[in-house]
Amino acid sequence: MKKNVHVDDFTCPGGQVTELDPAEFMPLPPPYDKFEKPPIKKLTDDQCKRMDATLDGIVAIGMAPPATPEEEKAFVEKFLAGLEKLFSVEDNWTFLQPLLHTLEYCVKCQICSDACPVYVSSGRQDIYRPTMRPELLRRIVSTYIKKEHPLLRKIKGSDIELNWQSLARLAELAYRCTLCRRCAQVCLLGCDNALVSREIRKVFSQQMGIAPKEIHEKGSVQQLRVGSSTGMNPAALKDILEFAEEEIEEKTGRKIKIPVDKKGADILLIHNAGEFIAWPENLEAFAIILDAAGVDWTLSTEIAGYDSVNYGVWYDDFQFARVAIRQSLAAKSLGVRKISLGECGHAHKAGIVIADRVLTGDLIIPRESSLPLLEEIVMSGRLKLDPSRNDFPVTLHDPCNMVRLMGIVEPQRRILRKICPQFREMTPHGVENYCCGGGSGFAITQSSNFPDWRNSVSGRMKMKQILDAFQDVPEPDVKKYVCAPCSNCKGQFRDMFEYYGAWEKSGILYGGLVELIVNAMTDLKQPFIQWEWH
Amino acid sequence: MGTLIIVLTYIAYVFIVVVYTVKIVAWLRMPPHIRWDLYPVIHEEHYRYGGSYYEQQEWWTKPRPKNRWRSLLYSLKDNFYMGEYYERNRIYWLFLLPWHLGFIFIITFHILCFFAAVAMVSGLEIAAGSSQLAGKGFYYLLLVTGGIAFVTGTFGSIGMPIVRLADRGLRTYSMPMNYFNYLFFLVVYGSGLFAWLLLDPTLEEYRAYWVGLITLTPPTLHPMTVLHIILFDLFLIYLPFTRSTHYITRILAYFFIRWDDEPNLPGSELEQKICGLLGRKVSWEAKHIPAGKTWAEAATESGLPEKK
Repeated sequence: MKKNVHVDDFTCPGGQVTELDPAEFMPLPPPYDKFEKPPIKKLTDDQCKRMDATLDGIVAIGMAPPATPEEEKAFVEKFLAGLEKLFSVEDNWTFLQPLLHTLEYCVKCQICSDACPVYVSSGRQDIYRPTMRPELLRRIVSTYIKKEHPLLRKIKGSDIELNWQSLARLAELAYRCTLCRRCAQVCLLGCDNALVSREIRKVFSQQMGIAPKEIHEKGSVQQLRVGSSTGMNPAALKDILEFAEEEIEEKTGRKIKIPVDKKGADILLIHNAGEFIAWPENLEAFAIILDAAGVDWTLSTEIAGYDSVNYGVWYDDFQFARVAIRQSLAAKSLGVRKISLGECGHAHKAGIVIADRVLTGDLIIPRESSLPLLEEIVMSGRLKLDPSRNDFPVTLHDPCNMVRLMGIVEPQRRILRKICPQFREMTPHGVENYCCGGGSGFAITQSSNFPDWRNSVSGRMKMKQILDAFQDVPEPDVKKYVCAPCSNCKGQFRDMFEYYGAWEKSGILYGGLVELIVNAMTDLKQPFIQWEWH
Repeated sequence: MGTLIIVLTYIAYVFIVVVYTVKIVAWLRMPPHIRWDLYPVIHEEHYRYGGSYYEQQEWWTKPRPKNRWRSLLYSLKDNFYMGEYYERNRIYWLFLLPWHLGFIFIITFHILCFFAAVAMVSGLEIAAGSSQLAGKGFYYLLLVTGGIAFVTGTFGSIGMPIVRLADRGLRTYSMPMNYFNYLFFLVVYGSGLFAWLLLDPTLEEYRAYWVGLITLTPPTLHPMTVLHIILFDLFLIYLPFTRSTHYITRILAYFFIRWDDEPNLPGSELEQKICGLLGRKVSWEAKHIPAGKTWAEAATESGLPEKK
C-alpha cells in the first residue's frame, strides 16, 4: 500500500521523502505497457553528497548542503527574508494579489490533484499534489513570518520546523510542477497552486540566486549576454540564415532572401532560437510562406531580438522584464509596426500577455501571435494548397501557454482541418489539454537524472494522449505526425519519443504547423516534411 | 434573555459586516498584478471553446466585447451547483454542496426574516392563513428557506467530517480546526433544526424575534430557540475567522485575476498605475538584482556580472 506523505515528512533530516516506483506509474497503452526502459537513474553516492536529492531521488537544481551549522542558519534566514518580500507591494506587486488569494482561500479540497498530470502519471504520489507546495509555504509563513501563537498553529495545523534540508526539498518540489495551470482551471475558489510553485522559484532566484543552471545561467543570463539562450550570437545567426536560404533553394528551388534588420518592415518576426539550431525547417517554412504571401517582414539581430524565449516567466520577474524590454527595444530600433511571435508557447505568453504590464510608454509595441496571420494566409487562398499531400494521420498538441493561458485555440485547428484530411483531436484538447511534460523549463533541464523523470513522469500523460489519438493506426509503417506549434514542446517530444522509441514502435514524428502548410503547397516539387529526419 | 439576544445579534451582524467589508476592501485595494488570465474567459465571445481576442490579427485595432452578465451568472451559479466537484469527486460533492447550501440559505432566511419583520411592523400578517397574498408568500418563503438551511446544513455538517476522514488526500490535509468547524456548525444547524421541527414548525418565534430586533422589544422565546439564536450569533462572529469570505472572494478572483484580460494600452489609467509601481524600490538580494534600485531601474539593467 502506498505510503502517505505528510508535510511533516519534509522536515525530517536525512532519508528520502518519497521513493518513486515505476511499477506504480500510470500504465501506457500497448506496446508501451511492457516498456522496460532503465528506470530513473539512481544518483551515485558522490552525487548525493554534492547535491540534495532527498525529495524524490531526482535533481533539477542540485543544491549543495551547507558546510557548517552557521551556513545553514544563514541560509534559512536569507530564505525567510526573501519570503517576507513575497508579501510586499514594493518587491512583489507583480503577483501579490493572486498569491495572497491562493494562500488565504485554498481549502485543500484536492479537486486539483486529479487535474494534475504529474500527480496522476506518477501513480498519485502525495508529494506531487498541487496543494503540497502551498501547504508547506503556508506553514512557513504562519510559523516564521506571521509568528502565530503556537496554540493557534496547533489548531490550524500550521506548525513547521524549518531546516536547510526542508528548504532544499521545497526548492526541488517547485521544479516538479510544469506550471501548466490545469489545477487552477478546476479550482472553484479561483486559487492557483501552480503560481505558488513559480513564486517559490522566485524567492530562491531573486533572493538566494538559486535556479537550475539551464534556466538561469545558461538561459536568461546567456540570452542577455550574447543574444540567445542557445549561445548563438548575431554572427552565428547570419551564418544559419544563409544555410537556411541554401536549404530552401535545395528543397523548393526557390531563391528566398530572408530579411534581416529591415528598417520600417511591417512585422518583426521573433522565433524561438532553438528553431534555428534544432529545427531549421521551421524557420525555412515560415520564410517560404511569408515570401509567397507577400508579407513585409524581418528578423532582428539585436540582443534578444532574434530569440523569443523568455525563461524569466518561469522563475524570475527581473530576468523576465529584462528580456521583454530588450525584445521591445529591438522592434523599436527597427521601426516595425508590430511584433509577431513564431511557434513557441511560452514566448507567446511571455511576450504578448505577461510583458503587457511591464512595458510602458514607447516600449508598448503591438504584439501578436503568428497563428492568426498564418490562418489568414491559408484561408485567403494566397497559397495553392493540396490537402492530399498531407494525407497521413495528424494530431495537434495544444501548448499550454498558447491555449489554456492565452485562448488561441481555433486558428491552428482551422488550418489543420483545411490541409490535413486525417486530422484528429487528442482527448482532452483545447484549453483542457495536458502539458507536453516539458513546460516551465523542464524540456531544457538536462541535469543528472531529471530527463528520466521528465520522460517517464511529467510527459507520461501526453505520451498516452498521443498514443490514444493514433490507436486506430498503431502500426509503425503508418507514418503519423504530432503537430506541436511550440519549440519547447518539440524539445520535449524529441526526447520523449526517443526515450520510448515512438518512431520505431509506432511511426510517430513530431513537427510544427508551418511545415505542414508548406508540405501542402502544390508548387513544391518534393514533400517538405522529411520523415527520415525523425 | 430577550435583551441579551437582541444586543448579541446586533453585535454579531455589525461585526460580520465590518470584518467582511474590511477583508474585501483589502483584497480589492491590492495593486494591479501581472496578467495571469486562464481560459475559458467567460466574458469572451468565444468562451464556449475558450477562445480569446488573441485569435484575431491586430487585436488591438478591434473591439473587445465583454459580456459581464454572463460572467456574473457563471460565477454565481457555482455557489449553488459546484460542478467541478460533481464531475471529479461525487461523494465529496454529495456532502459539500448541502453544507454550502446550508450557509447560503441560512443567510437568505435571516435577510428574509428582516424584511418580513419590517412588513409585520407595517401591518402585514404573515401566516399560512393570511388574507394577504404577500403575507402567505412570506410565510412559505421563510418556511422553505429556513427548512432547507437547517436540513442541508445539518446533513452537510455530519457528512463532511466523515468524507474527510474516509478520503486519503482530504484526511492528510485536514486540521483540528476543520473538525472543530464541522462540529460547531452541526450544533448551530442542528439546534435550528430541532427547534423548528419540534417546537416552532411555523417559525413564528423567529418572526417574533426579528420584530423584536427591529423594534428593540425583547421577545419571549422558547429556551431552545434562544439557544439556537445565540449559537447562530456566535456563528456569525466566528465566520470571518474562517475562509468563508470565499463566497465573495472567489468571484473577485474570477473577475480580477482569472478573467482579467485587460491590455495595458498607452496612456491608459492602468499604465499610470504600473508606472507608479515600477518606481518603487526593491530589496531582493540575489547578485543579479542591483541593490537600492527601483523596479524599473533593476529591470532595465542587464543584471550581468561585471567584466573583469
